[in-house]
Parts: sequence; C-alpha cells; structure tokens
Amino acid sequence: MSRGGAASGRPRWRTGPYWLALQLVLSGSLLLLFLLPIAALFTYAPPQRILAAATNPAVSTALYLTFLASGIAVLAAVVFAIPLGYLLARRAFRGRSVVESVVALPVVVPHLLVGVGLFFLILPGSPLYRFTTAVGLPIYDTIWGVVLVMVFVSAPYTVLAADLSFRAVDGRVLEAARSLGAGPATAFLTVTFPLALRGIVAGLLLTWARAVSEIGGILILAYAVYPGGPYSGPVTSTLSVYVYNLFQTGDLADAAAVSSLFLLIAFVLFFLVRLGERTGWVPWRRGELLP
Amino acid sequence: MGAVAPGGAPSVNAWSVEGVVSHVDGFRLGPVDLELAPGRVVAVLGSSGAGKTTLLRTLAGFLPVRAGRIVRDGVDLTDRPPEERGLGYVPQGLGLFPHRTVERNVSYPLEVRGRTDAIARSRELLERFGLAELAHRRPARLSGGELERVALARALAGEPDLVLWDEPWQALDVEARHELGRVLEELRETDRVPVVVVTHDPSLAFSVADSFLVLRAGKVALRGDAATMLAHPSDAFLARFAGFENVYDRASLERGRPGSLAAWLSERAGTDGVAFVRPTPKAVGDPHGAWEGVVRSARPTPEGLAVTVRVDDLSVALRLPPPPTGVVPFVGARVRFDVEEKSVLALGPPASAPRGTLQ
Repeated sequence: MSRGGAASGRPRWRTGPYWLALQLVLSGSLLLLFLLPIAALFTYAPPQRILAAATNPAVSTALYLTFLASGIAVLAAVVFAIPLGYLLARRAFRGRSVVESVVALPVVVPHLLVGVGLFFLILPGSPLYRFTTAVGLPIYDTIWGVVLVMVFVSAPYTVLAADLSFRAVDGRVLEAARSLGAGPATAFLTVTFPLALRGIVAGLLLTWARAVSEIGGILILAYAVYPGGPYSGPVTSTLSVYVYNLFQTGDLADAAAVSSLFLLIAFVLFFLVRLGERTGWVPWRRGELLP
Repeated sequence: MGAVAPGGAPSVNAWSVEGVVSHVDGFRLGPVDLELAPGRVVAVLGSSGAGKTTLLRTLAGFLPVRAGRIVRDGVDLTDRPPEERGLGYVPQGLGLFPHRTVERNVSYPLEVRGRTDAIARSRELLERFGLAELAHRRPARLSGGELERVALARALAGEPDLVLWDEPWQALDVEARHELGRVLEELRETDRVPVVVVTHDPSLAFSVADSFLVLRAGKVALRGDAATMLAHPSDAFLARFAGFENVYDRASLERGRPGSLAAWLSERAGTDGVAFVRPTPKAVGDPHGAWEGVVRSARPTPEGLAVTVRVDDLSVALRLPPPPTGVVPFVGARVRFDVEEKSVLALGPPASAPRGTLQ
C-alpha cells in the first residue's frame, strides 16, 4: 500500500464531520435553551410596550430600588466577603471545612427557606428585632430587608472567588516581593491584591447578578418596600417581585415588557464590560472575566 | 551597601552563617556553616530533596532558624523579616510579577523603598542587561534567557548585600546559559556582591563558583573549592557531578565472582562504593587488556565515540578515538580494556580526607 493510501485509511474521528456535528448539536441545544425563552419574551413585548414600561414611573422606581439594593449588597461583599476569602485562602485553622461548608450553604439552600429563616430571626420581640429597631435599621418591608436577603444569597460567590484568586497567587512571587524589601502590607497591596483582583471582580459581578435576580427570600422579608434608610421614594418592590405581581394578576404583556426592559439593561451592562475589555480600561484582559 | 556597622567601622559586608538549623514539614536542615564575602560565589549542590532550596529560604528569612545565627558585619540578622535583610532573592521559577512590565518589575525594590529615581535606575539596569527594548513588555512575552536577566536585574536594583539564586539555569538553552554565566561573572567582578547559587548543573557550577557547599539529606556533605570537589567526591552523586562516568555501589560489586572486574573493583571500594573515570581501550580486540566486555551501544560525541560495554553484570562507559582514525566497534563486538589503578576512587564518608574551608 502506498503511503498516501495508509494515511487516508487512518480513522479520522478526531477532526471528522461526525464529531463536529455532535459538538454543534449539543452546544447548540443549550444555546437555544438560553435564547428561546428570551425570544419568547420579546415576541410578547413589542418595542412600544417596552418603551412604555421604561417611562412608567412605577417601573423605574422598582428598577431604582433594585439597583440601589444590589449595589449595597455588592459593597457589603467587598467589605465582608473579600476578607473571608483571604482568610480561607491563607490561613490554616481548625474547623476550616465547617466554615467552607457554611459559605456554600446559601448557594444550595432554596431561597424561600432563606426568607423564612430570616423572618423568624427578625420576628418582633426577638433580640435582633429589638437591636435593629433601636439603631434605626428596621428590616421587615424595607430596603434593608432586601439587602439582607441579597447579601445572604449572593456574597458566597465573592467569598469563593476571592478564596480561589488569593490561592492562585504564586507564593514564590510573594516571597520575591518580600525579599526585595516589601513588608507584609506593601506586598499585599502591590502583589497579592492586584494579582487576585481580576478573579475577585468576576466574583463581584456574579454576586451582583445573583443579587439582582433574587426573589424567593425577598417575597417573604420585603414583599413591599416602604421608604427608609437610603431609599426615600414611594412604596414599591424589587423588579423581580414587581414582575411576579404583574404575572400573578394576569398582566402578561406588561410582565413581558418589564422583563424585556430588564434584560436589555443587563445586556447593555455586560456589553459595556466587554467594551471595557476591548479598550483596556478594566483591570483584566479579554475573555478572562466573562466566558 | 556602604552602611556603617556598630562601633563605627565601615561595613565590609562579610556574612557568616553559624550552625544554622531549620525545619520544614518534618525535614531537618543543618547545621550549616558558611562564610560569605564580596565578590565570592558559593554554589550549593545536592540531589533533589537534599535541602538546597530550604537553605536558601532560611537565609532569606522565610523559614525560622531553629538554632544558630546569621550575622552580617557583626549584626545579628537571624530574626529579621525578609524585607530587612538586604537581599536580592531569585526564587525557583524566578517569581517575576506578571502584572508589571519589565521596567516596573526591576524598579520594584526601589519603589517599595520610596525612591523617586526608581524608574530611572530601572532603565539603567535594563540598559546594562541588554533589556532596554523589552522595558514595556510583560514577563509572559519574554524568552527564558530574557526572564532570567530581568529577575537578576530586579534582584540587583535594590543594591542588595547578598544575592540568593535558586536554579538559575533551569530550562535554558546553551546560548542563554552562556550569557548568564557572563552576567554572573560580571556580578562577581563589578558589583562585588556575594552570591549563593543553588544548582544541579555541574558545568556552570564549576565555571562560576569559588566554593561549593554540598548537601545530602539536609546535612553538609562537603565544603570546599573546585579542586576539593573534583579530587574527593564523597558519594555517588558527587562522583557523577565531578564527571566520573563509571560509578558503582558496593552491593552491585559484591555479587562479582572471584577474578572478575566487579571483584577487582570491590577490593578498592569505600563504604559507598567506587568510581572511576572512563578507561580508554588500546584497540578493539587488543589481547593485552585486562578486562573484556561486549559492546552494547556506541554513539559519536564531540570527545570521540562514547561506547558502553557489558562486563559480566557491570555496564562500563568507554571512550574511543573519533573515527576515522579510531576503530568503530559494532554492537556485539568484544573489546578489551584496562582500568588504571590511580583512576579508581573509593567513595564513602572521607573520615580523613582533607576538607577545604569555605571562604
């Protein structure tokens, strides 16, 4: 047999058309699953309805509350979740795996249960209720209730991302920094933190996404949000609860319109992140943060 | 550098490591004694797990000293944190900052000291190491040899009193190794910084080091200059390091029957075995050689034909003159050869063997 004949007789499944077809079918199915419900939303919500939703003061109030509360939740993650992630990454201590499991808990527990648990925690007469009302941070049906639920369900993403990112910083790079004259604090600020930042920002983005889309716990703890704390507008609810209400009362078209509006806003935000990667005004490179 | 030691005497930058012991994960290093002075290069040798990196990390201050002292010009640095030891430490893998450009890697030691001329000094160093054109690149986009030079430039930027360098020649091609040898030479001549370099590359160790410290299982096996190293390899690792190709342990020799090469070597072996340099046979089929073996392999090298022959159970490396002047043995041919008595060396703890002192 000639050499050419031997080569063409070799099985070619690695790069063969069947393999490629299988890949396309499998990944295509998943992409369709992502896209079809969104497409369905937009077919029920023509542009003029979305525009009407955008100019409806009730909708913009709910949007404002949602972004305000989720922004505060992200700030809380910066302040509390990053140090916890650092602790998990850098310190060996007894009961470490217990702490790790506790961090994973909010991710696996159904969020309605979270709301019920928090509800019992702040029942009138409970120590936490007395404390929060005494310091002027009432929780039930206020923005603080929304923030509390959001932090509970979303902060673990930042803890996990910070843990992984701090862990991924090469110890030898850190040792080089120390030996070259940097004290522990300087080495953290100039080496550890910048190197972990990209992963932490990715975690914060996930935290924000999770916070914004939360409904289960909020239904129980802050179904309606009365003015108080940083929120001073009329009585409203988070966007998720607002859409849920529209849907429950049979206002399907408006539910679709508000949902579409929110999707557009989320899309624009993520598009801006991509644009940032392209133009280089974000601290990470293209493709490193979002898939 | 140029600081004044207590008592008002100008600093000479003499380091002494006195009986230093350190532990890491159940491994015990030491006691290690070392004297370091400006312009001296000490090579730390030893097989994997001998404690070379542990020694460097202990000197750098990343592992606590359990016993002994590290002293520079009379000042005890034993318990000082790494950043207060005046070091240029190049860890294994170099430890370059991936998020900083070459220029800002090199300026780092000056930046953390609040020097305003950090970037200017960095430029000077990059110029000196032939890296000026790479100033604005990230380390990820550099070749192995360039990375080594950046790491060294960074280590020197803070004008260290001591350079610690872990495995500088790992994964470098011949040209880059040569360049690095030249840079190290300059370090000795111009910067006059004492250097402790960890390696398991014999050729470069012999070309740059003034003295050697050999570690075995955490203990100092040998200290001395190149001549001591070559004349008295105390174990199989050092014998191979010093260029002895035929190294045998006792057990493999004791199996030889009376009158065999193995038995003859066994009589001359120390506690750790025996080593001899390559014998050169007179000719293939020379009937006067004392020993006879069967050729197992033959390959040309710059120094002639490297031939492996089998003598009973022993494998022996021979060197034949390069063809066409020499004869080309073929696999399976019989070769007679002699082993010179004076080329045979007993290996083992040299209880009475002379030991150099490390200066």
